[in-house]
Amino acid sequence: MIVQLVVAVISTLAFAVLFHVPKQEYLYCAVNGGLGWMVYKLSLGCGFGVPVSSLWATLTLTLVARILSALRKMPSTVFLLAGIFTLVPGSGVYYTAYYLIMNELSKCTAKGIETFKVAGAIVLGIIFGLALPQSWFNRLGRLTDKKGASRKV
Amino acid sequence: MPKSKERPQGHMSVCQEQKKGKHCPQRHKSIRQEQYNSKEILNLAVSMGEELLKNGGEIYRVQETVGRVMEAYGVWDYHVFVVTNGIFATVHEQGDDAGSMVRDVPLGDINLEKIAGINQLSREICQGSCSLKEAYRRLEQCKSASPLRDAFLVLACGVESAGFCFLLGGTPFDSIFSFLLGLLLQAFLVAGTRRNVSKFLLNILGSAWVTAGSLMLYGMGLDVQSDRIIIGGIIVLMPGVALVTGIRD
Repeated sequence: MIVQLVVAVISTLAFAVLFHVPKQEYLYCAVNGGLGWMVYKLSLGCGFGVPVSSLWATLTLTLVARILSALRKMPSTVFLLAGIFTLVPGSGVYYTAYYLIMNELSKCTAKGIETFKVAGAIVLGIIFGLALPQSWFNRLGRLTDKKGASRKV
Repeated sequence: MPKSKERPQGHMSVCQEQKKGKHCPQRHKSIRQEQYNSKEILNLAVSMGEELLKNGGEIYRVQETVGRVMEAYGVWDYHVFVVTNGIFATVHEQGDDAGSMVRDVPLGDINLEKIAGINQLSREICQGSCSLKEAYRRLEQCKSASPLRDAFLVLACGVESAGFCFLLGGTPFDSIFSFLLGLLLQAFLVAGTRRNVSKFLLNILGSAWVTAGSLMLYGMGLDVQSDRIIIGGIIVLMPGVALVTGIRD
């Protein structure tokens, strides 16, 4: 489990590099990605299905990204984009295409529908996370404002 | 109060005074100067929006940024309309059409550093701590921010491929090959982008390359799970970014 977490953190970090995330934010990005993968795995372990687990994980990712964006004065996309990639159903897309080409249509349909569900779950997770009013996060942002000001003085 | 915010208002009052007067030789000139001013502001705002859109910013972010920058510089009568690959904006000043601008924005590489930089710039403009001239300078600075060295990107892609190969059920042995294929994939992508090969073609050739590579390893009799390696490799080509930005819009 810990190995999985470490690998997820490293992969997210690599994605952050690929997307040219500002250097001082690498660490936060990576931690966020690891957190998302952790929630996903834990949720799977609790017996939820893949789509529901993706929903929980995306919701966590989005909320943490928004909190971080308020604290670090960065667009929340910076933290969200790299983190979400651990959850994007890459294997689902691959197997759907694979079974289609191998003419195993029933498996292809099953995989395709599951991939679609996961994508839908990710969409819902992000929408829920973004639907919370910005004012809650702004209050967090003001905390760092004061800290920053006192540091400058 | 920022200097530039005062400037248009100052001009406005001069203008109105001159309108009241019977003859005013300078009136024409001052109106033209003001037009020039709102045009400058429009240009700055739209250029910032263009840079955001080009580097993977969401539509709502572009729209909001352009609007806020205009308002911060005292232009309140404006319309902005943003689509995924273009920006349309007009500014009205005292009922006259003072300027309009259309930008065609081709989609480029995702560069969150530039987005963050422009976000910071727009925040400072809104706080009024940035004059128009300064803002232009900062925008240029943002645009020309040096990208990471290619070797770094190639390495990141390799690490990412290996990581995902492992996360999705591959063995460490698979990950090693995934790492190598990822390195070559990103090297190929970088080389292709340099030569302005279309993104569509790059995606197809890139994934074909990863698949061929992993099948070759399999054919050589190595004990690898070729499907895991392929998935690890093609994650980079996944439209995950389009997914996220699409939802937010």
